Amino acid sequence: MPTLLEVQTAMRRDLLDDGDAAVAATLGDALAPADRLTIYRNTSRTALTNALRLNFPAVQRLVGEDFFAAAADAFITREPPQTAWLDLYGESFPEFLQSFEPAASLTYLPDVARLERAVCHALHAVDAEPLEYSQLVDIEPPVHGRLCFTSHPSVSLVFSPYPVDTIWRAVLTRDDAVLAAIDHSTGAVWLLVERRAGEIEVAQLDERRWKFAEALFTGQPLSAALAVADDPNAAAWLAAHLAAGHFSDFALSDAENPSFAAEHAQ
Amino acid sequence: MEVHTENYMGGGSPIRCLEAIRRDIPISLHGVGLSLGSAEGLDQAHLDRIWQVAERIEPDLMSEHISWSVSGATYLADLLPLPMTEEALAVVCRHVDQVQSTLGRRILVENPSTYMQFRHSTIPEWEFMAAVAARTACGILCDVNNIYVSAKNHGWDPSAYLAALPSDAIGEIHLAGHSARQLADDGTLRIDDHGSCVIGEVWSLYETALRRFGPVPTLIEWDQNVPPLEVLIEEARHADTLIDAVSDKVRRADAA
Repeated sequence: MPTLLEVQTAMRRDLLDDGDAAVAATLGDALAPADRLTIYRNTSRTALTNALRLNFPAVQRLVGEDFFAAAADAFITREPPQTAWLDLYGESFPEFLQSFEPAASLTYLPDVARLERAVCHALHAVDAEPLEYSQLVDIEPPVHGRLCFTSHPSVSLVFSPYPVDTIWRAVLTRDDAVLAAIDHSTGAVWLLVERRAGEIEVAQLDERRWKFAEALFTGQPLSAALAVADDPNAAAWLAAHLAAGHFSDFALSDAENPSFAAEHAQ
Repeated sequence: MEVHTENYMGGGSPIRCLEAIRRDIPISLHGVGLSLGSAEGLDQAHLDRIWQVAERIEPDLMSEHISWSVSGATYLADLLPLPMTEEALAVVCRHVDQVQSTLGRRILVENPSTYMQFRHSTIPEWEFMAAVAARTACGILCDVNNIYVSAKNHGWDPSAYLAALPSDAIGEIHLAGHSARQLADDGTLRIDDHGSCVIGEVWSLYETALRRFGPVPTLIEWDQNVPPLEVLIEEARHADTLIDAVSDKVRRADAA
């Protein structure tokens, strides 16, 4: 008699395409065991494909439903979800698309998927209280450079050599005129994606401002971020981040070992 | 109002809307991802997320399924059938205990619709359900359509199934439409796809259930091929009529 673990392992393998029909042998139904398993397999595939569709709607519209379903099927087999919370399923779907041979001609597709991954995070990130100015008033100016921030869970940055924000908006609003007029050689975009008052915002930053934000969001001390920015406006940018609630916490890096707090602020 | 717990695990607008609705309408959190029957144990992170939703929403009811969907740290996104064995019963009961002590409350467990049976099953499903309720003091979410679907698929007597469930454990009823599919060998399999009206035989079984269990909160599940709102309202109205008839009888009995 097979154990519960053996039954479930065999059925998982069957549903994920590398089964050896071990499940069929455990069934008491004499009739059509393969048909019965197919019902479960189809339900599982449909649910996971729909989860990817919801998380990557622009990718689906760019490649069409059938192509998307085929790509999703290959992805699900390779990287099925590890949790039943599917709102963030497809974390590695952009990288999968990058190596998905049939999509190779759509060079900007993986970056559209990266933007959608950031949008998905912004939509579903857990709520967190934003860091307030008042929490920083006791920090003396001489140690300001050691401030390390924790970015708000809903905020992230996306870089692409293609105008993926314009493509993304045109695809989702079905604006074919804009889509047809997009010049893919207009250059790179540096984007900040966030949830503000429940709405998703995708904003373009200039390169220096984006790199300053990247340094701060990855927990580097303010002094290091200012060095990266190398721009007299950086203090104003920091104030704008605070005002927009882009941080949820802060720590002070060790003066002797600035990377220590940075690691702990991640 | 009943929602899938898994749709409210993030922050932002969805959970805030549900908090607002909750001020006026009692909420039932119906989970689909906890996998009570997993041999390898519950996903603690998922249980924690359920706990967090429950903390914010303070639901009137919480429920999960007698099935499994996680194996090898992989979520298979379907309510998969368990072999009806003493081993599976012990696993499910251990997990229901764990969930109830984590949440600090009683949960309901729902009977599945199944499309296959395991050769080594030894416990009839209705006895399995009753045993889980008896051993863990959990309640039962009686899905009348699932009873009908599984009974037809496996040649059971749906009335005998209902009669075997402990009346005082029933905390909620589900109804739904289902479809029929031809098998390769000309057999027919009924599929619980929540995509059509509740059929007459299931309404009859529902009346039997109400007579036995009393007026229990009832949800009609419809999430594929969703029809015009009037059709849904008419389905709900029919269920209300049947519940009212039973409530009248209960009132008359109390008066007497």
